[in-house]
Amino acid sequence: MNIALVGNQNCGKTTLFNALTGSNQKVGNWAGVTVEKKTGIIKGTSHTLIDLPGIYSLTPYTAEESISRNYIFNEKPDLILNLIDATCLERSLCLTTQLIQQNCNVIVVLNMCENLQKIGQTVDEKILSKDLNLPCIKINALSGKNLNELILLVNSYKKSQTEVNIFNNEIDALINKITESFTPKISKFCAIELLENYSKKTIIENNFQTDNNISSNRYNIKTMEKKFDFKRINLFNVFKNLHKKKDYKKNIEKNEELYTLPLFNYSAIEKDVIRLQNKYNLGMCHLIANLRYEFIEKILDKCVHKNNNINTKQSITEKLDKVFLNKFFAIPIFIGIMGLVYFLSVGIVGKYSSSIIDNGISAFSNLMETWLKGLNSSEILISMICNGIIAGVGAVLNFVPQLIILFLCITLLETTGYMSRISFMLDNFFYKIGLSGKSLIPFIVGSGCSVPAIMSTRTIENSNEKQTTVILTPFVPCSAKLPIISLFTAYFFTRSWLVTTFIYLFSIFLIITCAYVFRKFIFKSANNTLIFELPEYKKPSFKYVFKDVSQKTTSFIKRAGSTILICSIIVWFLVSFNWKFQYGVNIKDSILASIGNLFAWAFYPFLKTYSWGATVSALQGLIAKEQVVSSMTIIAGVSAENISGNLIFSQNGIFSFFTPVTALAFLVFNLFSAPCFSAIIAMKKELGSVKKTIFTVLFQIIIALILANLVTLFGTLITIAI
Amino acid sequence: MKNFEKNSYKAGKKCCLSELGLNQKGKIISVFHPNFSLRMRLLDMGLTKNVIVTITKLSPFGNPMSIMFRNYELVMRKQDLKNIMVEVIK
Repeated sequence: MNIALVGNQNCGKTTLFNALTGSNQKVGNWAGVTVEKKTGIIKGTSHTLIDLPGIYSLTPYTAEESISRNYIFNEKPDLILNLIDATCLERSLCLTTQLIQQNCNVIVVLNMCENLQKIGQTVDEKILSKDLNLPCIKINALSGKNLNELILLVNSYKKSQTEVNIFNNEIDALINKITESFTPKISKFCAIELLENYSKKTIIENNFQTDNNISSNRYNIKTMEKKFDFKRINLFNVFKNLHKKKDYKKNIEKNEELYTLPLFNYSAIEKDVIRLQNKYNLGMCHLIANLRYEFIEKILDKCVHKNNNINTKQSITEKLDKVFLNKFFAIPIFIGIMGLVYFLSVGIVGKYSSSIIDNGISAFSNLMETWLKGLNSSEILISMICNGIIAGVGAVLNFVPQLIILFLCITLLETTGYMSRISFMLDNFFYKIGLSGKSLIPFIVGSGCSVPAIMSTRTIENSNEKQTTVILTPFVPCSAKLPIISLFTAYFFTRSWLVTTFIYLFSIFLIITCAYVFRKFIFKSANNTLIFELPEYKKPSFKYVFKDVSQKTTSFIKRAGSTILICSIIVWFLVSFNWKFQYGVNIKDSILASIGNLFAWAFYPFLKTYSWGATVSALQGLIAKEQVVSSMTIIAGVSAENISGNLIFSQNGIFSFFTPVTALAFLVFNLFSAPCFSAIIAMKKELGSVKKTIFTVLFQIIIALILANLVTLFGTLITIAI
Repeated sequence: MKNFEKNSYKAGKKCCLSELGLNQKGKIISVFHPNFSLRMRLLDMGLTKNVIVTITKLSPFGNPMSIMFRNYELVMRKQDLKNIMVEVIK
């Protein structure tokens, strides 16, 4: 059987999926979106289970939700496990009633019933099962309680013949009229969707027929005043937006892509709809929502038993939020937590692990060299393995400990529920520039390493905000760029700390400006309303965290490892050989140097000279940004142990042409141009398409070139003025 | 910083949901957001007529707000909540 796991967000679907499938999982990608597609086989059976993105209703609001809807409608799974968080039973049943109306085979699975007991309520699943005419079972996905019973229920599932009446007879008659006008008959839910869209259809017609017709607008306000006894000034806010027809039409067009309705001639039901709307004094979509929730409330009255001594949801979440979202303490606490994340990953782990891994890799490289020499291998092979493969892949392995710590921090923030609070606190500023409050995490993490930063954009729901964040995260100077910054600022500027601070502040300014420009010109018609649920604080399950972090790390190493391997070999080849394919040439005769010469014209405007050395060093930054400095060292003929500005920029050397102005320009170029290959690969995974990744890389290179040239321009003007 | 928490509306007064203060309760009268998809989404999530809504949290900067109804909390911006009319209860 094909079984689908359907439910709201945060109800524990992934936990249940992991518990049911164990290690028999396959992670892939849904076409068109960057959401993971998880399929697996239920332990002890031959049923396939698929984990669908969380949805609140079969009518989708985001692209991710339309995945679930389309899967349910088109693939028609044999059975749906409707997972429900028992503490949000009322809202969750909306989806259940929709699944019933869509003629799906459903088993209702109640999760986290223990949390319900903590607020003094219990659910009787037998009564619920009888009222919904669906099998219901209580489980706890985290502790594994009742999972075997669930599997038994799945194996013995038989669809019940009678269907429960959700709406009253009038509406049912209307729904039947609609379903029967199609051959083959459409589901009840589709008919209901058509009814709900009746209001939308008439709003569109009214708004576009009356072109700037003020009297018709006044008519609407007058009826509203009479109906609800409002003062006109209160209604003005409500109807002000209805008058912006252009935005309204665009909104409608944008959202229509998410799902399609069958073609239907509304004139057949027009009379009935108007009669019903007048009778209940409500628009059709409001009427249907009301009836649905009336049904749900009736059921809950019967099956939920409340303990009278606890009235409101005074839980641990309430008490914790009084601290974490306190008017005065919220931001300082947030700064403290972010500082801790940065300190752990970049500070402690970053410093010690880098040096340990560096030493380990050079030791391994020496070992390989001796062993291969002992086998009398050719010099070329030794060089390719030691200087090409090991050095290149080693550059990636260098930041794996940092990656692990950062992934750990991000997963902990996500699973405890604090990530949503961050979004809640910072949304006010960030949405104006087209970013989400959750975008701050990638920027902070990005000061350590762009790779986990880009991967942490996964938590951003809105795809425009997510893409903007992914594109702009590399602008934050990562720790690999620090050697470049210190080399240039220490040699050319007396107050180097001032320049460094200025650079960091400037990167913040650049990100804000670019985000704002993206929002204004590229994503201008985007729908970026904020609507999300504040989840309860949850104690993170270490099993889940461990699994998540190791999955992310291994998938990155697999992806990056293969690509970096190839790129390292290519660059090694270009550096070691000349055009006649002779090995062991001086670097200035190598293929890479001639490529450098080719692009030196692009660097000329801000370097004021043709330098293949500078170009080649910048190109080698693509493997890892630390390589810029080591490349310059090698080209200047200085040995690797003596990296100092004095030697690299010495008077007779190849880099003696640098002045403070051009040095700053070159530094700026390296900081803001395309990031290392690992980060580019991470970007491609989050952006979802090669085309967008190429656009991003080109965008970053062009911005870097513009900035470098501006630095040279203004720098020379300032030095002339002084 | 402006005081977003207090609200001078008395019980029985009709106003926008965005104008309620912290811990105030309101009964939904109408949900007429111009964005049709958002309106459907709000209705599907249970923000229907006659539901009692409580303002539980305000962001330290005043926006967005967290509203509690039907036993769960939903976060939305004030600009969107302006389109929802309520009758003040407490």
